[in-house]
Amino acid sequence: MSDLTLSSTTSSSNVRARRGFGRVVFYLTIFVMCLMLILPVIAFFINAFAFRWFYPQFVPNEWSLQAWERLRLIPRAGDRSLEGFISLWASVPDVVSALGLSLFIGAVVTGFSIIIGLPAARALGLYRFRGKRIIEFMVITPTIVPPIAFSLGLNINFIRWDLALEAAGFPLDLSGSIIGVSIVHLVPVMPYVVLTLSGVFANYNPDFEAQARSLGAGPVRIFWDVTLPAILPGLFVAALFAFLVSWSQYLLTFLIGQGRVITLPMLLFAAAGSGNNAVIAALSLIFIAPAILILLVASRFLSGESSAVGGFGRV
Amino acid sequence: MMKLKRTLGAVLVAAATAVGSGAWAQDLPGFSSWDEVVEKAKGQTVYWYMWGGSDAINGFVDEFYGKPLKEQYDITLNRVPLADTVDAVNQVISEKEAGATGDKGTIDMIWINGENFFTLRQADLLYGPWAEGTPNSALVDWSNPAVNLDFGRPVDGYESPWSSAQFHFVYDSARLKEEDLPRSYAALGSWIEANPGRFTYMAPGPGAFVGTRFVKQLFFELSGGHDQWVGPFNQELYDKWAPEVWKTLLAWKPNLWREGETYPAGNAELRELFANGEVEFDFTQSPSGAAPNINAGLIPPTSRAFAFDANLIGDFNYLAIPFNAPNKAAALVTANLVLRPDRQAAQVQPANGFCCGWGIDVNKVTDPAGKEAIAVAMQNLGDAAADPNRLAAALVSDIAAEYQSKIEADWQKYVLRGEPLPN
Repeated sequence: MSDLTLSSTTSSSNVRARRGFGRVVFYLTIFVMCLMLILPVIAFFINAFAFRWFYPQFVPNEWSLQAWERLRLIPRAGDRSLEGFISLWASVPDVVSALGLSLFIGAVVTGFSIIIGLPAARALGLYRFRGKRIIEFMVITPTIVPPIAFSLGLNINFIRWDLALEAAGFPLDLSGSIIGVSIVHLVPVMPYVVLTLSGVFANYNPDFEAQARSLGAGPVRIFWDVTLPAILPGLFVAALFAFLVSWSQYLLTFLIGQGRVITLPMLLFAAAGSGNNAVIAALSLIFIAPAILILLVASRFLSGESSAVGGFGRV
Repeated sequence: MMKLKRTLGAVLVAAATAVGSGAWAQDLPGFSSWDEVVEKAKGQTVYWYMWGGSDAINGFVDEFYGKPLKEQYDITLNRVPLADTVDAVNQVISEKEAGATGDKGTIDMIWINGENFFTLRQADLLYGPWAEGTPNSALVDWSNPAVNLDFGRPVDGYESPWSSAQFHFVYDSARLKEEDLPRSYAALGSWIEANPGRFTYMAPGPGAFVGTRFVKQLFFELSGGHDQWVGPFNQELYDKWAPEVWKTLLAWKPNLWREGETYPAGNAELRELFANGEVEFDFTQSPSGAAPNINAGLIPPTSRAFAFDANLIGDFNYLAIPFNAPNKAAALVTANLVLRPDRQAAQVQPANGFCCGWGIDVNKVTDPAGKEAIAVAMQNLGDAAADPNRLAAALVSDIAAEYQSKIEADWQKYVLRGEPLPN
């Protein structure tokens, strides 16, 4: 009996020790991972406000807003009154217009990618049919083929179509326009949207739709009240991917936009060549801010507990 | 009052045309008079494609060209920032391939020189000749080979100068004394030997023409002078001196930064090494010397520029108009504005943020307002710039473009990779 008690206490304390050790490892891992994610952002912050930060200073001796002045987001010293800010921002600094354009294109691309991707994902997720593998492969090819391989040719074709459309009396610019850039952003965006959503539909049970139909619901009502709530978390994740992929496009925007469609990555790449670390860091902060914001908002959909990946199948 | 009005009028007329006569050296294709150009340019937008890596230059362009274009000519300036000028060249080539001719292109003007100009010129993708046809082009010294040749190739009126640059060096006056500075490649060699690990240069190669220029100048010094290198590419001359150059650079190698195993790839990298005190010299192309980078906080405020006694390559950079530019009139007006004496005086002052020096010959300016602006600018160069007289004394022109690729390839082979020299 005492033996038993002893052994049972030993084993339970062993378990506790293991648990304690496991917990340490667990939290240490979390800590290191967070550090890896946060450290670069901290480095950006320091660089964006540092001035004359040379070796051997470990932390900058001088701080300044000159990078933000150079980006024309903050008025020069002496003009930092409310009027100064208003008149500076009223002139729409390049960074502000680029930010707005990036957000606009990202939203448009996200919307269209969902509209195009939803039916495709439903078919791929729910049905088995001949040639499904080939179609799946074709859907993901844009992630394999480098953009430069198709965008140069695509640009020439866009210019040709523009000329043909103009000759036919429909002047519509694809090349060098926001429309053209949005269309071409769909190329790298679609694989992510279709893959994410087809995963959702793989776990989706269409019998719920049949049930609703038998109760007299029309197609719109079924989509709105049955399908949409079931796939909403997955839809959110797909939209997030779509937005972020569009948000970070440089090469496609440059080639199809011909340098006229100036999104944030365009400014970032141009600045990166200058070697002014403060300006690059400040621009980078502006570039990653919306991404981080969206990620925070969406985090509950991304966690394992959500039904983003499970859909109806797990309920 | 009357007098003031008359003076003001005279200034305005002079500023608008700079040379009143309107006698042109060249016709502008597609236009019958300058007045017609200015008239047609009204309400146009000029899409100006230019390297956009410097916010200081971007700001200068918007402030000193964008505003007067709008106010005086009703032209909207749309500056398109490029990470590399070759992107604009590829765009024009794509448009040509797609059949976008006439005025169906997208680019009105490109800030250009060297290889990019040559590529477009060779493919006959530039509008022109026009550069000697704008009123203010009379202020350009077209007889100067540094102006009428771009990397050794004739400009032929297909590009109009904007500004000039000359290779020289930057040091930190807090670390080195002015009298200890090397003033020739020979002296630099001794300095490197005495200060191991404290010098490096940019690897010559595409995108680092300043590094190539540094090596080219060594050719001039070793061969006893620049004169023999002027003119078309001379294989014999190159073969005679190239081994000497590689031998010299190889002799430096063990005493270079990181023992010459690696070299900074571009301006920004060398500047960062200099700013962090890893090496003692930076290169500059700006007549304002160290000032622009001091203002940006990129190098220590005690940095100063200095020149060798001879063989420092200077050149001009230009504005070109693609054959299919949709707003040629507005581009011409802009190119003309850039050469106006008061704009030229603004661009050389470090405080205004632009990189480079005069595009015009200041001695050709005759109107009093322009002369006054130039005199003021001369006073404001700042003490971070090298002595303009020393720079002028060392000035030589760049040489045929073929040397560039030859030097870059051979440097990689013999100096970087250390392959045995031929015989």
